[in-house]
Amino acid sequence: MRANIGLFWFLTGFFLLAAAVYSVWNLLVYGQFEIVGSLGILLSAVLAGFIAFFLNMANRSQAGQVLPEDADTDVDDADPEMGHFSPWSWWPFIVGLSLFFIFLGLAVGIWVTIIGVPLALVAVVGWTYEYYRGNFGH
Amino acid sequence: MSTTLSPTPVVSNADKPATVGVTRPVQRGNIVVRWMTSTDHKIVGYLYIITSVIYFLIGGVMALLIRAQLWAPGMQVLQTKEQYNQMFTMHGTIMLLLVATPLFAGLANALIPLQIGSPDVAFPRLNMLSYWMYFFGSLITVGGFLTPQGSASFGWFAYTPLSNQTFSPGLGSNMWVFGLALGGFASILGAVNFITTIVTMRAPGMTMFRMPIFTWNILVTSILVILVFPVLAAALFALGSDRVFGSHVFDAATGGAILWQHLFWFFGHPEVYILVLPFFGVISEIIPVFSRKPIFGYRTLVYATIAIGALSMTVWAHHMYVTGAVLLPFFALLTMLIAVPTGVKIFNWVGTMFRGSVTFETPMLFALGFVFNFIFGGLTGVIMASPPLDFHLSDTYFIVAHFHYVVVGGIIFGLFGALYFWWPKWTGKMMNERLGQIHFWVFFIGFHAAFLIQHWLGVIGMPRRYATYLPEDGFTWMNQLSTVGSFVMAVSLVPWIINVYITWRYAPKVTVNDPWGSGRSLEWATSCPAPRHNFTSIPRIRSESPAFDLNHPELAPGSIGGPRPTKEIAAKGA
Repeated sequence: MRANIGLFWFLTGFFLLAAAVYSVWNLLVYGQFEIVGSLGILLSAVLAGFIAFFLNMANRSQAGQVLPEDADTDVDDADPEMGHFSPWSWWPFIVGLSLFFIFLGLAVGIWVTIIGVPLALVAVVGWTYEYYRGNFGH
Repeated sequence: MSTTLSPTPVVSNADKPATVGVTRPVQRGNIVVRWMTSTDHKIVGYLYIITSVIYFLIGGVMALLIRAQLWAPGMQVLQTKEQYNQMFTMHGTIMLLLVATPLFAGLANALIPLQIGSPDVAFPRLNMLSYWMYFFGSLITVGGFLTPQGSASFGWFAYTPLSNQTFSPGLGSNMWVFGLALGGFASILGAVNFITTIVTMRAPGMTMFRMPIFTWNILVTSILVILVFPVLAAALFALGSDRVFGSHVFDAATGGAILWQHLFWFFGHPEVYILVLPFFGVISEIIPVFSRKPIFGYRTLVYATIAIGALSMTVWAHHMYVTGAVLLPFFALLTMLIAVPTGVKIFNWVGTMFRGSVTFETPMLFALGFVFNFIFGGLTGVIMASPPLDFHLSDTYFIVAHFHYVVVGGIIFGLFGALYFWWPKWTGKMMNERLGQIHFWVFFIGFHAAFLIQHWLGVIGMPRRYATYLPEDGFTWMNQLSTVGSFVMAVSLVPWIINVYITWRYAPKVTVNDPWGSGRSLEWATSCPAPRHNFTSIPRIRSESPAFDLNHPELAPGSIGGPRPTKEIAAKGA
């Protein structure tokens, strides 16, 4: 994870530098602040920095012990329990379909969106609780 | 015995209706349901690739209509100029946002978990949702053709005020805006998924600097996606709100025209790197396998990719030189700078082939075609980065030739290279070599015939997006050559389609893990096609070529007579 953190800090630094150079240079040439680009690069720096910060926290909370980072491990050293993987699911299709109605309604007539919203609510609830009921209930 | 002493029945999982791991009979309907409800990253990847190849064919038919229309002066093929505008708008939209962008997600899905030794992506259901958002978003976008006024006709970059309700009325344009917004969210969610997968789900021993170059490129591409696609989504929502709800975000009176251009190209320029970086990765996978050498300068390639990703965020306004409202020296400098890491990559690919045992199977031909074409496209890019030259060339066919050289010559050549290369891994059948070679050469010749001449067409002044021209302009023979080339490209797809069909019907099954014989990355260490969770066993990972080390242990790092162990292992004394 060290390489990832380094990557995102590098991007943060580069975008900060680019934002500074771009806004100051623009100010010198045109005498006014070019708001879209300056803010755009600055916010890119914020996003990259946020991810770097978060990865750093995650890395520190496990004391820097990350198996894929260890150059000298075998697969057997890892926990065989990889976590839960959804075997198959209808809900992505249903969420997608409700988003289709919502976005289509924005384009062609708001009543289609009104049909899509309840469908989206049902779909999101179904998605969230898919593995808490039926065969998976506990 | 009283009834109270009878044991309470134990309900075990076995008594519950089984829903997991049940083998269902193979019927066509079951296959449809299995693909619709799948959370398997491989099937999601195939869905992406199949959908985008279908859109590629649709967009290709539009290109043929455009080229047929430009065969001779006058309006012979399309009835109105509005139809022509719809054709080039939807050709651009489909090829960039419904073909090339989803191909990134498709290839990443089909390969990333295999290459890093993971059973699936980090969020399997989110992965499938991304696909459905792309699918339904694309339906909304192209659905504009079914409205009475036809689809959007303001060009794929939708400059305001042309794209507002006054100048482009009609539902088709609204559907273009909101369909692309939905598809944009699909890209964002997909990218989040890939970043999480690559950061957290690598197999033990798969350090960042042992990942295949393709995986590195997908990581950088995904970072670019989460940086710029939200900008596109915001801009599209603002445009949609202007169009549908009457807001005034992009009002020309308050600088809205330039605001849209800034926002769009802040997305649009990194977008072209989002399109091409995965295919840089594909090429970096193909060339070492058919040169039978490790990739030359692994770390330089990684750093070049990161440099391209970082620089691509700071060059957007080179699309806006002719507005006269941008900082020319800043953008010219950085745009020319981006040629340096790209040149480093070309150098590395050539260095990989240098003194290798190069053979010319179809994937390698397409990879070489990619490198060849991309140098053309890259060099014209440097020309246009220079503002005085760009003022002459902007919005002419020179620009069209440039970006078709990078997009068709890069992405589509890379796509076919990837399809031929990983076809056995995905389907378990090797594609026919002879038909593949015919496909390559016809496509290659058609491609250069269609687009090389457009450079000169642009220099003598033919503007892009004009429905026709006059006989006195002197454009006619150049346009005819280009049209012939485009139809040759279309014809070249026939052997490919035949190849897909006969491979599917008649090709023998691949029984080995690595049918190419010197596959390097981890996907060549599992069966063809890979099982549901990808691996029955994962080999030791001690270099960036674990499958090669497994099949050629005498050449693996640390073996007797083999290369020296990597620095990390040597430091640990292993």
